[in-house]
Amino acid sequence: MIITRRRVLGYGGASLAVLLAGSARASGDEVIEVGMQGNADGSHVWFDPVGLHVRPGQTVRWTNRDKGNSHTVTAYHPDVFERPLRIPAAAKPFNSDYLLPDEAFSAVFPVEGVYDYYCVPHEHAGMVGRIVVGRPAAHDAPGSAGADLVPLPDVALDGFPSIEEILARGIVRRQA
Amino acid sequence: MKTVPVAFAMLAAASFPALAHDVPENIAKAPPAGEFKAVSSLVKLPDFLPGMGQLFVDPASLPAGPFLAYDHDGAIVSTIYMLPIKDLNPDKRFEDLAAPGGNVDHVDVYYNAGHPGVEEPHVHVVLWHVASSDEAKVAQ
Repeated sequence: MIITRRRVLGYGGASLAVLLAGSARASGDEVIEVGMQGNADGSHVWFDPVGLHVRPGQTVRWTNRDKGNSHTVTAYHPDVFERPLRIPAAAKPFNSDYLLPDEAFSAVFPVEGVYDYYCVPHEHAGMVGRIVVGRPAAHDAPGSAGADLVPLPDVALDGFPSIEEILARGIVRRQA
Repeated sequence: MKTVPVAFAMLAAASFPALAHDVPENIAKAPPAGEFKAVSSLVKLPDFLPGMGQLFVDPASLPAGPFLAYDHDGAIVSTIYMLPIKDLNPDKRFEDLAAPGGNVDHVDVYYNAGHPGVEEPHVHVVLWHVASSDEAKVAQ
């Protein structure tokens, strides 16, 4: 997995983000954009879209569009804060660390499977996301856990769109 | 005839700031004195938060605070307490929270999903030291 981090200048990327996200499955080479969103008083935070279906090798870029908060995009993996493994075993975990407004983080997904991730300060507010890469086998569904790992709160578990919904729709958005 | 109004004006001018907010001088302007640190120097957050302003807190008082909030001109606008929702239960109390910001014009209470420093859903209790119409000073 290749990860990068940079600062996005201005809001020029916002409209681009919508266009690219709208074509998540259309072709395999473009960068797929995910916004890290929050409303004005910080009462609601979310990834937009929350679910994506991409091809192996595609790049996903998360950008903090929330002017009043910091966010992370962090894979569920035992090597990152001792969380249950919810990405393919052969994939490397990713963690953006905190992104200030307009900062961005990218990751490439060469390994087929289901990737679940969360925002560190907002997991307990249900800010999670799921990426399905390729056509994973049914047994690739995430969820393995160990007794010494920190389990997911119910609000996070309830936040993932189903794999079936992502495969059917390509892009899954939630109401703010 | 003119001496009385002039004297009154001088007296009023000298005393009005204290009467208006009753804020200690070492708190009235950013940065506040004492153990207060800019929140943006403690955790990765923007220095100025739309809707709240520039925040300072004594790290020893986390997570509840008080957080002191200032406008773009460095004038105090509010004192904010951040109370984790999981701590609002029969076994937990928040007592004797400091309130150094002076007179309170009005109070807002609202839910926040979390942010660095208070990384869990919590309640913001905002003691505004300015009128509602002046909240716009920290809107953006």
